[in-house]
Amino acid sequence: MSDTQWETYEVFHQARRGDPHEHVGSVHAPDPEMALQLARDQFARRLKCVSIWVARSRDITMTDYQDESFFAQSTDKSYRDPKAFDAPAKTESE
Amino acid sequence: MTVQIPQNVSQETLKRFILTLADDELVLGHRDSEWTGYGPILEEDIAFSNIAQDELGHSLVWFTLYHELGGDHPDSMGFAREWSDFTCCRFVAYPKGDFAYTVVRQFLFDVAEEERLKMLMDSAFPSVREIAEKLSREEAYHILHSQGLVERLGDATEESHQRMQQAVDAAFPQALGMFETIDGEKELVAARVFAGNDILKSEWLKRVIPVLEGATLKVPVRSANGSYVVTCAADEGGRKQNHTEHLRQLVADMQSVYRSIPGAKW
Repeated sequence: MSDTQWETYEVFHQARRGDPHEHVGSVHAPDPEMALQLARDQFARRLKCVSIWVARSRDITMTDYQDESFFAQSTDKSYRDPKAFDAPAKTESE
Repeated sequence: MTVQIPQNVSQETLKRFILTLADDELVLGHRDSEWTGYGPILEEDIAFSNIAQDELGHSLVWFTLYHELGGDHPDSMGFAREWSDFTCCRFVAYPKGDFAYTVVRQFLFDVAEEERLKMLMDSAFPSVREIAEKLSREEAYHILHSQGLVERLGDATEESHQRMQQAVDAAFPQALGMFETIDGEKELVAARVFAGNDILKSEWLKRVIPVLEGATLKVPVRSANGSYVVTCAADEGGRKQNHTEHLRQLVADMQSVYRSIPGAKW
């Protein structure tokens, strides 16, 4: 018998409108609509939530952990870091 | 707390009606909870555990109103009452069966609950109206889940179709028992507390038949003049407290901890 596992969907959760959607985990589901419903049960029942995204895991293109050179920094680039001043977490208008 | 009850209907009739709602939810909630740890896939295990908690939550809301109308405390109604005093329909007490049966039963129950809540939003009894509005939001989600599974499993594979058809064959006559006339129903209808089980049943048929047939499942009904006529006998008796052995076992199970140390505080 072939593998009867449903495929996996990655779940992204948003606690408040305007907040970024954050990756919270994954669910098995037969299709995107069921994935949303099952994600609601796994991740939105206790966490405050206003929106959920799901995406097929296989649709996500990712880097390879072996390929460290992808992120290599060969020369000193610290002058690019914004560390000479403090940026407030929120602006005044908020 | 005093509850404002509508005119032309006795407190006993209201209590009886509320009790049938509470008992259905309590017993089905217990059956759903039996999937905890046994679901066919982790996500469904969790989903059914959630639904079980929701149904128990709904039963508590109805038991609380029952208590406000002068009935016993919800805890003793759930855990210290004799099984023969339950007023649930037989349908909700049958064993959970395979996942197909559970899905079909949940779908048939969810649609009846949602249609009933819709009717109760127009009730002449304000407390019932408020509860109906509160519970219907959650019920809409239950239907998305159970209907989604019916639509997918009905014709997914040969085995899933066969299991789903067996589930419908078993569950449909049982489900009709949800609409068994309850004591004092004429009084409830006349006082506009509840529009009645006949109307509820025809609204329910209009919704469940197209979904089941759309999922390639055969249902014992025929169409006549734009409505459905059921061609099988209803499995009734629960509302008259004429239950099956399954309820006795379920209640014994459900009450075993509470009864082991009477009056214990947790």
